[in-house]
Amino acid sequence: MRSIFTSLVFAAFLLQTVGALWSPPPLAAETLYVKTNGTKLRAEGSARAKVVTRLRIGTPVTVLMKTKRFYKVSLAGGRQGWIFKFKLTAKAPGAKKGGSRFAEVLGGRQQFSARESASGSSIRGLGPATRTYARNKGISAQSVQAVENMENYRVDLDDVDSFLQEGRLGAYAP
Amino acid sequence: MKKRFIIIILGVLLGVAAVGSASAFNLGGFLDEVEKQTRPPEKKQNPQPKARQPGASGGLIGLGENLGLFDKKTSNLLQQGAKTFQAFQPIGLEEEKAIGASLAARVFDRYGGPYNNPGLLRYVNLVGQAVAGMSDRTEVEYHFAIINTNEPNAFATPGGYVFVSIGLLRLLENEAQLAGVLGHEIAHISHQHALKTIQRGRRLQGISALGLAAFNENPEKFGRLIDGISDIIFTRGLDKDLEFEADKMGVEYAARVGYNPSGLRDFIRILGQKTRSGSIFFSTHPPPRARYDRLSRLVAGYRAAAGNPRLAERFRRETKGRL
Repeated sequence: MRSIFTSLVFAAFLLQTVGALWSPPPLAAETLYVKTNGTKLRAEGSARAKVVTRLRIGTPVTVLMKTKRFYKVSLAGGRQGWIFKFKLTAKAPGAKKGGSRFAEVLGGRQQFSARESASGSSIRGLGPATRTYARNKGISAQSVQAVENMENYRVDLDDVDSFLQEGRLGAYAP
Repeated sequence: MKKRFIIIILGVLLGVAAVGSASAFNLGGFLDEVEKQTRPPEKKQNPQPKARQPGASGGLIGLGENLGLFDKKTSNLLQQGAKTFQAFQPIGLEEEKAIGASLAARVFDRYGGPYNNPGLLRYVNLVGQAVAGMSDRTEVEYHFAIINTNEPNAFATPGGYVFVSIGLLRLLENEAQLAGVLGHEIAHISHQHALKTIQRGRRLQGISALGLAAFNENPEKFGRLIDGISDIIFTRGLDKDLEFEADKMGVEYAARVGYNPSGLRDFIRILGQKTRSGSIFFSTHPPPRARYDRLSRLVAGYRAAAGNPRLAERFRRETKGRL
């Protein structure tokens, strides 16, 4: 029984290796993912076309047609529109790679990769590890505050869009 | 022995068959299911302490030990092997941000603190966010700051922290050059260059595999990790292959936005002409001549983008009286 289980662990390792090396044949329809929050889905393939909706990061889309700068896509549910091609990526943002998942399955998540902070929530502001490090290294309180200010600084997505439009950049390039 | 061999072969065949029908097979989802089935049940009466738990851990190895299929010694050996494997996997984003924030504090402390000009900071952030939106890792939140030193330099720390010195901004001639510089730094983050360098090094490899809870509980180990990365970023510099890759991706990201791709190359030329050889920039990067030559060959491949704007006029307007 013991040797059978050890063999199964080894077989799981081989399964992962084969999975990592195998390149499956391409699918008929290409699935891409939205790269950034607020990405515009437009009625036509032009930066001046009406905005149908805004999409969240990681939204999967099926590519129907490609032009020089825009892709025609369909969403789950059948809605269609056009997206600036550099707002799409082949890999789902934030997806864990196979190796990381395999290690967690093999040895257990809590031991190898404690994803959550000690407080169990996503950190806003500098975490305890950073604060302790700064204190131990004699880094000034002003420098620590400067990092917090840097993290809290925001430019509005619409302002970035206007900035691109004014410079005839991004989706607004001729 | 024969039975074990048959089981291994069955496992491989199962894997090939499963992956071969990849249109329906999701390896990540499969592993998620296995992890759910092998996770130790949570005990409501006795909540798990935050410190490292004694006894068996989760996962397949933990399950095997719980079932008494192998002893503690074998379990420890298998755990060690799995840990070594894990050490080569990418660091998690929360851990990356903790590392990057600590290094960011060192940057401010070492290089004169922030340069306080709200208009200039906003402009650098607008260009930075435009370029970051075209990068290959947009799940990272990118932050941009100007440091108050006349030494021309730029830094990137893991987790999305990008710095450019006021000394560097004073050398720039147009917005395409700024986009190229920021693109280079963003590429260091999106391709995790500093973290990969640490993971390759034996001395800090095991530390970099720790999770955030372990960082909080082991400040000495965390401190050694940060000191190791600081040494790379501020003193030794990254491997020149990684710097060349950052140049290549910086040009690509700036071109995706629609800037003229020659921006970074032109800045390297200016830097080579106007900066003394003892500058920290030269000690942590390949020689400007080598970078300029490589960038020139790279830019030649962007024929379709040769007419893209450099936006010198907007750069002058946005920086006038602020540098």
